[in-house]
Amino acid sequence: MYHCKQSIALAFSLWLTVMAPVHAQTSPAAPAALTQASQPVPDTAPPPSVPLAATPVSSASSGTPAVVLAPQVVVPTPPAVVPTPPAVVPTPPVVVLTQPGLVRADSLNGADTAWMLMATALVLLMTLPGIALFYGGMVRRKSVLNVMASVLATCAIVSLLWFAVGYSIAFTPGSSALGPYVGGTGRLWFAGLDYIKDAQQVAVSHIAPNIPESVYAMFQLTFAIITAALVVGAFVERMRFSATLIFMSLWTLLVYAPIAHWVWEPSGWLARLGTLDFAGGSVVHINAGMAGLVCAYALGPRRGYGREAFSPFNLGLTMAGTGLLWVGWFGFNAGSAVAADGRAGLAMTVTHIAAAAGALSWMVAEWVTRGRPSLLGLCSGVVAGLVAITPAAGYVQPSAAVVFGMVAGVACYWGATGLKRLLRADDSLDVFGVHGVGGIVGSLLTGVFASKSLAGVDGSVLTQLIGAGAVMLYSLLMTALVLWITSLCVSLRVSEADEIEGLDITQHAERLGT
Amino acid sequence: MLANEKIAIAAHLHVLLRRKTGRVTDTEWMVSNREYALEIVRFAREKATQDGHADLGIMANRLADIMALTAPAQAAPAPRAAQAKAAPEPGFNLFTASRSFGDSESAQAPRYVAGLR
Repeated sequence: MYHCKQSIALAFSLWLTVMAPVHAQTSPAAPAALTQASQPVPDTAPPPSVPLAATPVSSASSGTPAVVLAPQVVVPTPPAVVPTPPAVVPTPPVVVLTQPGLVRADSLNGADTAWMLMATALVLLMTLPGIALFYGGMVRRKSVLNVMASVLATCAIVSLLWFAVGYSIAFTPGSSALGPYVGGTGRLWFAGLDYIKDAQQVAVSHIAPNIPESVYAMFQLTFAIITAALVVGAFVERMRFSATLIFMSLWTLLVYAPIAHWVWEPSGWLARLGTLDFAGGSVVHINAGMAGLVCAYALGPRRGYGREAFSPFNLGLTMAGTGLLWVGWFGFNAGSAVAADGRAGLAMTVTHIAAAAGALSWMVAEWVTRGRPSLLGLCSGVVAGLVAITPAAGYVQPSAAVVFGMVAGVACYWGATGLKRLLRADDSLDVFGVHGVGGIVGSLLTGVFASKSLAGVDGSVLTQLIGAGAVMLYSLLMTALVLWITSLCVSLRVSEADEIEGLDITQHAERLGT
Repeated sequence: MLANEKIAIAAHLHVLLRRKTGRVTDTEWMVSNREYALEIVRFAREKATQDGHADLGIMANRLADIMALTAPAQAAPAPRAAQAKAAPEPGFNLFTASRSFGDSESAQAPRYVAGLR
């Protein structure tokens, strides 16, 4: 009798040991349900590890029969009186957020949050000092400090404007009539980005419900910063510093934020249309490239353009900037997965492959046409590959990334040389030639290569063309308007004497040391 | 000879040198410093011979005349090393490939004029 009771007790304890982990894995928690329901694009990561845990038992390849555990089960089956776990674990109701709101703090994903904090820092690193060095090395010695000051000041002013207005009108749903075109006012001055310690509640965005909204807002801020900073390259060495500040302020609010809303906020009209832009091929690069081209036309060429050699100050700085851009782009693209998951890993992989292919592609094109592979060409090719893969980073396979990089390298080389001469604009550092052309190439190729198994939908070249065209047209018109408004406040260009003297001394009373 | 005429010829040579060889010169210094003018004339004639730029040779001779420079009418043959350097790159025809990119002009343009890349 004693042995019988002991056997029953042993059987019950064994049963509990075997079943407990299974129950833990199959009991979905509320945050998980909310997360999966709220992701705009469902991840296609492999299913949870429950089937995998059972694999060794039923695997034919191992040569072990499925009843391998039978000899170990020496105890009889638990009696019927033993309480069995319910067949269906009650699932909390799935809550789908359609706008930012408060959730329980323990519903956040720690790994996702940590990765997004890291990605945010990486993207800021792309601008400070990445873009500052990249551009600073390419201008003449007398205007290097002005370029760096313009990038730094742009970062500061865009940050405050994003906090005050930009984030709200870009990443919250708008009113019903204007909803597809511009966001609401609920997050002006970052209102509602709360962390309530006592109640253990935290605000999350409906676009990224696994991380605090403060982190998501900061991540998107770094995108707004770098987009505006990219435009600086088109008007270096001649735009008045005060005009730069006014232009950047208006441009961020009137051009960047609405386009971000169109493409990335689920109620945006391009998002509803099905335009794919994983990390900003159109929002960031086509937009910045087009704005740069308009600036170049509006300001006119630098004095002596086309007649004098404008020797770059130090291409070593440009190389250092390129390295920072390449590394920072991992945060840019892999961070756009808004999770530390398989898609982020894929985005990082394709980003690196496309950058390498772009560098080699540009190098070969330059070698063939000019007879020399230049360092600046390699740096430009890296950026071209990175730009092109940006809209596709989470949607394509690594093999496609090679195509993105190779096509972009050649296309952007043409954009910065042949097309530049056709356009006859002093787009000084080739913002349109590299970012505009690379963004267009990447957006269209996304329509070709986007895989349904990754993106959730099949890519459509027509849809991508509509998206890219709409962004180009809006950016063209609104940038021209913003420049005109700016010109009503201050003169856009420095005087001829100031331009000859250099913007470092005339705009900032500083001069580069030896 | 008027100073303006000297400057005009020097400026013309300056433009030709920049366009054909990529060398940037100082026009004013060319008409005021004999040694500098002599060196520019020598360089221009050498390039005219090497690369077949007849107009460059003509303008160099005009500057030499107007500056009363005593320089040989025919430049000395280029050193072997320079000839080897001037030989076309092997492989793809640069001009054909350049045209396919719409960039035949920039392939021959001086570096950093009308573009960085």
